[in-house]
Amino acid sequence: MRVGATVLFWDGFCYQSYGWNQMRPLGKLQGVIDSLEAYQCDEISIIRPIRENDTEETFTRDISTLREINSMTPLSFGGGLRSVEQIDFLHDLPIERLIFSSAFLKQDKNLIEYTRKLFGHQAIQCLLPFSIDKQVIKVFNSEDNSYLYYDELNMDFIDKYANEIILFDTKNEGFSNCFNRHSYEHIEIDNKKIVISGGIGEESVKLAKKDNIASVLIENRVLYNEYSIKEYKNA
Amino acid sequence: MIVEILDIGSGNIKSIQNWIERLNVPTRIITKATDIKSEFLILPGVGSAGSYMDRMKKGDFDKAVVEHLNRGNRVLGICLGFQLMGDYSSEDGGVEGLGIIKGRVEKLSDSFSHNGWEKFDFKKSDLCNNSFNSMLKLTRKQNIDGRVFFNHEYGFVVEDDVLFNKPVSKDFEEYSAMVVKDNIIGMQFHPEKSQQTGIEIISMIL
Repeated sequence: MRVGATVLFWDGFCYQSYGWNQMRPLGKLQGVIDSLEAYQCDEISIIRPIRENDTEETFTRDISTLREINSMTPLSFGGGLRSVEQIDFLHDLPIERLIFSSAFLKQDKNLIEYTRKLFGHQAIQCLLPFSIDKQVIKVFNSEDNSYLYYDELNMDFIDKYANEIILFDTKNEGFSNCFNRHSYEHIEIDNKKIVISGGIGEESVKLAKKDNIASVLIENRVLYNEYSIKEYKNA
Repeated sequence: MIVEILDIGSGNIKSIQNWIERLNVPTRIITKATDIKSEFLILPGVGSAGSYMDRMKKGDFDKAVVEHLNRGNRVLGICLGFQLMGDYSSEDGGVEGLGIIKGRVEKLSDSFSHNGWEKFDFKKSDLCNNSFNSMLKLTRKQNIDGRVFFNHEYGFVVEDDVLFNKPVSKDFEEYSAMVVKDNIIGMQFHPEKSQQTGIEIISMIL
């Protein structure tokens, strides 16, 4: 099982966030990546936590920052990828994998297929930011800042077009050992295809290993506990 | 010496460039087949086989790579760039490769994907014994013992007995992680994203 990290990045800065809501600036992207690389982090997912507030100007500025990143750690990137023109803009970035959320929720086959041709199927990840209340799973749709019921998703489409699915527990993000396992227990997809993030602690890592999860992404707290990645790998 | 990197409009070119330049070796991005001039060429590999090969043929890069090798120069293929060095890939309904390494590419059996790190050990003598010589002597290291990063759904099955062939892992032993033959090296993993081991590998090769 891989042990990686999630980095929230928007408008030139990385953020520490709690519950997918409160955000505090964490520093520049290159600095954050350098720190994680020094801890031999297995992979880094850079996610733009956009709501309906994204603009072309902010997107372009973020891509320019990303283009300058120098890293030898596997990187994935997503947040606001909604058009073919945006995908064309990404071809020379130092990243290997792309993360889509809204495109999967609205089953944008053209966009996903176009990306597959340029980057390959192995490079496509689906992000499902979820929240669970009384065993009911809702998935956040960033494009219109609303939640959908899990039952409304076309999981066959997601399973077919995504190489891996990132389940991001928005409610428990920023807290320890709170990741809600009901999410992947409920979803009818092989655990070997599932990546989990949000509320990850050492106990969550142990359970994820036991459940044959593909990867755990520890959120930004890792930057405040330099020993974390190593300890999590040995969990 | 300049390392040339083929850019046919797909893939993570910038990562490859950063990887080479960490050794203070200059790079040049090649967007036209006639611009291939240096002794060492990299075929990067992120994309789908059909689309990648279409672009190669459209730009006459397929012929240019073979001519580059015939002039005695070296080529390194990474991931999809390695897979398309073979004769045939079953991806995208079947794609004819460059045919410079005997072998075929097929969907990984018993698995939808192989994403992760594997242990990797390698000796410099494995290069020399297969007529591949480094030019720059950037390291005196003789052995590499580290880990490398894989991200693929298809694997290369070698059909040639007289080359150096290192399997991916015990679970994927029918597929090649690395192949060395004369002036050709192919790598299924991503050395440019394999942290310290990636640096050690390219230092030994160049």
